[in-house]
Formats: sequence, C-alpha cells, structure tokens
Amino acid sequence: MYCITDEQIEYILNDIRRNGVEMEDLQYNLLDHICCILEQELKETDDFERLYHQTVTRFYKHNLREIEEETINLLTFKNYYGMKKVLITSGCISVAAFVAGSLFKYMYWPGAGILVTLGIGSFSLLFLPLLFIIKAREVKTTSDKAVIAVASVVGILFSLAILFIVMHWPGANVMLFSAIGIAAFILLPAYFFTGIRRPETKLNTIIMSIILVGVIGLQFSIVRLRPSGSQLRIRMDTYAQNEALLKRMQSGFVFGKMASEINATSNDLKALVLQRSIGYTSVPENYADLNIHLNEGNLGTEFDNQGAGVQLLHRLRQSVVAYNASVADHDLHIPLDKTVLQTDDAQAGKMYTNVSFLNSIVQLQMYVAIAETSRTK
Amino acid sequence: MIFSSELIKGTLKTIVLKLLADNNKMYGYEITQKVKELTADRIQLSEGALYPTLHALEEDGLVTTEIEYIGKRVRKYYRLSSDGKTKSDERISELADFMDTMKLLLNIQPKTA
Repeated sequence: MYCITDEQIEYILNDIRRNGVEMEDLQYNLLDHICCILEQELKETDDFERLYHQTVTRFYKHNLREIEEETINLLTFKNYYGMKKVLITSGCISVAAFVAGSLFKYMYWPGAGILVTLGIGSFSLLFLPLLFIIKAREVKTTSDKAVIAVASVVGILFSLAILFIVMHWPGANVMLFSAIGIAAFILLPAYFFTGIRRPETKLNTIIMSIILVGVIGLQFSIVRLRPSGSQLRIRMDTYAQNEALLKRMQSGFVFGKMASEINATSNDLKALVLQRSIGYTSVPENYADLNIHLNEGNLGTEFDNQGAGVQLLHRLRQSVVAYNASVADHDLHIPLDKTVLQTDDAQAGKMYTNVSFLNSIVQLQMYVAIAETSRTK
Repeated sequence: MIFSSELIKGTLKTIVLKLLADNNKMYGYEITQKVKELTADRIQLSEGALYPTLHALEEDGLVTTEIEYIGKRVRKYYRLSSDGKTKSDERISELADFMDTMKLLLNIQPKTA
C-alpha cells in the first residue's frame, strides 16, 4: 500500500480549500476519502499530483465546490416543500383577512382593524419573505437574486406603508416614500438592465418596466395628494382658531345650568380625543412652538362598544335634546343633524376622524354660546 | 450495468442508514467501498452525493459522529443514533413497499431462475 506523506496531505488539503470548499467538516471528509483512494490505487512509481487530480475530478461535474453547495442546499432547504405549503397557505389567509377586514371597515363592523392588521402583517412579514427565499432559490445568477431581494423589500415596505396609512399609525409616509424611491431608483434600473440583456426576456422586461413606471407614477401622485407639513399645520391652526373663537363667544356672561352641562361634557369629549391625538387634554397656547400637529386619525378604543367616549356622547346627546326642549325659540335650537350626535345610539361619532370630531364638538359649543347670549339679553 | 445516479438519489439516505445499522460505525470511503462490494460494483456512490447526505443526516440527528486522528488526517466516523435506528427501519419498509408498487405499476414479472 502506498504511504501518503504529510506534505502530500497538506497539498491535497490546500487544493480542496483553494477550490472553494469552506466547511471544515467537509474538507476533512474529502481529504480522508481522497487519501483512502490514493492509498489503494497509487504505486510507488506513480506521479502523485497527476493521479490526485485524476481522482478528484471524479467527485464533481464542474468544480469541487458543487459538493459544498449541495450540502448547504440539503441543510437549508430540507423543508423546501413545507415552505411552499406555508407560502400558499399564508398568502391565501393574508389576502382573505385583508379583504374581509376592508369590508368590515367599510361596514363599520367590529374587528376590522384586527383583520386588516393580521392580513397585511402576515402578507408582508410572512408571505413576501418566504416568496423571496423560494424565488431566490429558483434563479441562478447573483444579479437575478439581487433584483428579487430589492423587489421583496419594496413589496414589504409598500404593504406595511398601506397598513400604517389605514391604521393611522405614524411613519406611514416615510415608508411609502422609501418604497417608491427604492422602486424607482434601484429596482427599476436593476430589473431593466438584467432583463434586457437576454433575448428571451427582452420583450417581457420592457413591458414590465413600463407597467412598473406607471405604477410608481400613480403611487407618487397619490402620495403628493396626501397632506404635507403645511397641511398638517393648517389643520391644527383651523381647530385652534375655532377654539379661540369659541372662547371669545363664551366670555362675559354666565351660562345656565343646562348649557354648562353641555359645555362640560363637550370639554370632556374633546379632552379624550385630544389626549390621544396630541398628548394634551387641550390645545396649548404655544402649540406651534411645541411643534404639535393634528394628525388625522381614528377616535381610538374609547369609542368602541361601551367605552368612555360612547358614554360621553350619549350624555351629550341627552343634554342637547333636553336643552332644545327647554328653549322655545326654534332658531336657537342646537342642531343634531349633520353633527357627531346625528344618531340616537351615538354610533355616528365613530365615522368621524379625530379632526372632524373635534370641529363638530366645538361648533356645537358655539351654537350653545349663541343661544345662551340671545336668551340672557 | 451501473445504475444511473438519478435512480440512486432517492434511495441514498436509506442505503446509508441501512449500512450504518448493520456496521456499527463507518467512514465515508468505507461506505462507498461497502456498497460497491455488496452490489458487485453495480452501485457506485458518488462522493458528490454521499457527503452532502451524510451532513444532512447529521443535521437531522439521525447519525452521531466521532473523529479519529490518523497522522495529519482526520477521519470522521458515522454511527446511527436511536432516532436513526427507527428512521432506518421506517425508510427500509417504505422503500420495500415502493418497490412492490413499482413492480405492479410497471408490470414487472418476477425473473424466472
């Protein structure tokens, strides 16, 4: 039997490493295997290096690294078929939950928020990442993998941005802009230039790129229509002006008992909504310096079912109805129609955003102020 | 006749598990030689398929390993774990069923001696 020297072992190990096998386990497995074969087949007079290379070429089709790649594939993707199942299931459930959630939201049924959050959440954080892993495995080149990676990031950012917009969570615009920016300046060029080079994908690449440009353009125009910083400031100013106007109307005389009650309940309601919207129970004098903005959003859980907000709305409506009954002059009646108090069950309030809600309440207080001024004259 | 690698691919894990079940501990080269010997050279396991499979079996906890130093070389022995023993029996009976089914499907008559 041929005896392999330490130098030859070193030579083989170096060659294995140089050929891109990085897993130490695998290096030693291959080394021992090659040594065993050589010990069996080599004769003292043979050329070691030539026979070694002849032996090692039997191990692979193109290069030695194949063995390591196959190993990694087996270790990483042993659950490949399981992953495909999870992909399809999660995709179906996400989309179903999202569609159902949108319908619920439209119908003002309870549970809409949870369904939409679950739907878009699992779509962007389970379905899309899985899709990326599986798709990236199907393509061969690094550039194709990179395009798929960027596309996945855009998809995840975009769907999360939609979720944040729907749920009125902060940061939605930043996400949407990032998604559109990455799509326009990274994804589109990368996709276009990798696809256009291959004759078989050329036409599809051009068509898909045109569609992509169109979608990005449409999205951008929607974003542009969303309120900018100045719009946010104007919204806050308008409401603050309404409050200032009310204060002027209320000054200089004492309200009756019923009117005071309406005012107190109104202030409680506004405090509830303001606390959630700006973190204060009333608008601070120096709101502009404090950089406080009135982000348009929903009313929050206090206005669900029998929450504190709903109960306050009930009480306000009763007080207003009682007040109107006590005022003989119809022209001084406080209108209920087209306000947050339009329905008996206080459910209409839920349809209002925080901004419209605050304005509706402050207007109601102005009506009371005018009615009281006229009565006490 | 040497069987194609495609035919062997689906049964490689079963072959390795069975060999380890019968031979206590083995190293890679030994496995290829044993298969050659048992099949009279008709099945020659390729190194490119054997080692990835051995690593996958180790990752799945079906085999345990021990290292032996031979001078500058390191020899890795594979041994069936208790999970591996159960799995080996399962896979062999599954393969036997599969072969019966294939006989039916392909209408293969038993060879007459």
